[in-house]
Amino acid sequence: MALLEAENLSITFGGLKAVDNFNVKIEKGTLYGLIGPNGAGKTTVFNLLTGVYKPTEGKATLDGTVITGKRTIDINKAGIARTFQNIRLFSQMSVIDNVKVGLHNIYKYSTASGIFKLPSYFKKEAEMEKRAMELLDVFDLGSERDYLSCNLPYGKQRKLEIARALATEPKLLLLDEPAAGMNPNETAELMDTIRFVRDKFDMTILLIEHDMRLVAGICEELTVLNFGQVLCQGKTSEVLQDPKVITAYLGE
Amino acid sequence: MSSKPKSKLLKKDTRSDLITYAMVLVAFAVVEIIQATGSMTSLMRGLLVPLCMYSILAVSLNLVVGILGDLSLGHAGFMCVGAYASSIFSVCTRETIENPWIRFPIALLIGGICAAIFGILIGIPVLRLKGDYLAIVTLAFGEIIKNILCSIYVGYDSKGIHMSFESESSLGMEMDGKLIINGPLGINGTPTDSNFIVGIVLLLITLFVVLNFIHSRAGRAVMSLRDNRIAAESVGINVTKYKLIAFSLSAFFAGIAGVLYSHNLNVLAATSKNFGYNMSIMILVFVVLGGIGNIRGSIIAACVLTALPEVLRDLKDYRMLMYAIVLIVMMIITSSPKLVSFREKYGLRQFIKTKMANRWTKEVQ
Repeated sequence: MALLEAENLSITFGGLKAVDNFNVKIEKGTLYGLIGPNGAGKTTVFNLLTGVYKPTEGKATLDGTVITGKRTIDINKAGIARTFQNIRLFSQMSVIDNVKVGLHNIYKYSTASGIFKLPSYFKKEAEMEKRAMELLDVFDLGSERDYLSCNLPYGKQRKLEIARALATEPKLLLLDEPAAGMNPNETAELMDTIRFVRDKFDMTILLIEHDMRLVAGICEELTVLNFGQVLCQGKTSEVLQDPKVITAYLGE
Repeated sequence: MSSKPKSKLLKKDTRSDLITYAMVLVAFAVVEIIQATGSMTSLMRGLLVPLCMYSILAVSLNLVVGILGDLSLGHAGFMCVGAYASSIFSVCTRETIENPWIRFPIALLIGGICAAIFGILIGIPVLRLKGDYLAIVTLAFGEIIKNILCSIYVGYDSKGIHMSFESESSLGMEMDGKLIINGPLGINGTPTDSNFIVGIVLLLITLFVVLNFIHSRAGRAVMSLRDNRIAAESVGINVTKYKLIAFSLSAFFAGIAGVLYSHNLNVLAATSKNFGYNMSIMILVFVVLGGIGNIRGSIIAACVLTALPEVLRDLKDYRMLMYAIVLIVMMIITSSPKLVSFREKYGLRQFIKTKMANRWTKEVQ
């Protein structure tokens, strides 16, 4: 069974069908791309999958459990983590604290034991610190651990956002335009990072991207959205050759 | 900030906390020495408990404004709840529990918990609002609490508790009935249990709880809400829960400050001078001036700004003018880009200094 299955997912804002009958099946371990022209509804699909919007029709299941209609935090607990198109870090917190917020539901102790520094506080904090440093080292951010996250360069902020999402131990990682605003070198590095994350964490990744080099380089399967509808779905090489897709992107 | 090196002995947070505790203890020691030598004016002596009280208020409001990132203008309301609840308890049990060492801690708990309960009750509907709207609603709450307590008459006799909003006579009490809250005249005869040492201990407890809270898992969750609510939700932070925890914890300590206030004076009345919105604004000024999110700064600002009008009493009419000038100068110092960059330079110098010191200790070893 596929890890993520969306059936007829639709949402309307007033008279506008932002996403119409969206179907997708993503197998475990796939690097899946979601592309389409501006305003096609890609980010809306992400918001539907993470519970920011409630779909007017259809349902989505993650690993067999229905996730539509749940709250964002419950969907995160069920196993979907995401990054954002415009970076949303906890800008006034240190780099390591950003990751520790991601670990919030993994290493738990009560508020009272935090205030009175009971033994469970020290034990869990030490475990948290260790795990957070592991994650930071994976993304080569270990030496910046005490920087405020807003002081990081752009590329590293993107990496930190991925690290924070991975800290919640998701089954599915959603990346919303990870290469936006990056130069070719940074994009190439990002491609390596995404591949590395997939292999190291055995992760399934769904990503939105406009950079065709990145999409063609790392995505195994693609869905193309246009005006809220699925235009084309399948293997990357086949989809990118499809005349319908080329028309949607370049016009007639 | 970020360029400071990690100390090998202590984490940065722990070190900063210890400096804050040390600062309070040093201030306490200095005051005690001045008192022992007998060179403290009675005016200053009268200010000691209020200084502790304002510091507690500033620290607790900083939890909402600086750490949670919500603007609350009703802090004096929570203080008022704590003051009245504890005063009622103390007045009623004055004869039954004679030992202030038992009575006062119970009064503290009652004051704090009542304020925290109000914090939760107000918080549930109000924390859905943001920014200006939240400020307006909390401001209204503070005023409503003050006005209700200002116009209520409560007494008890053998038949039970009587309550009225009109006058003392409308309570219809028996001859031996005892009046507790006398409308605008408030509560009379609260035992004066609080003193400077109690104030300092309470300030240290407040600091201990607030600082530990900030550095814990819950504190990080609260700060993540401040920085980006949507991202916090996406990593599984329960928004309502952590907002309420921070808000009620803040209300609890405002209540504690209220207890300290009410047990410092014999008469407690809810006037706009002590529990009105001017008070809430003043606490906010402490927080803003001390640095939003900076706990140590709020204590310093609270002490400086409380002591200042008294110290400047000799200037008579120019007193408030000086107060305003100090406010403006402090604002400029904390936010002017040139001065900020100067401070950063100064910070760098310290960085080099510590680095040299580290190298030196290594060579010695």
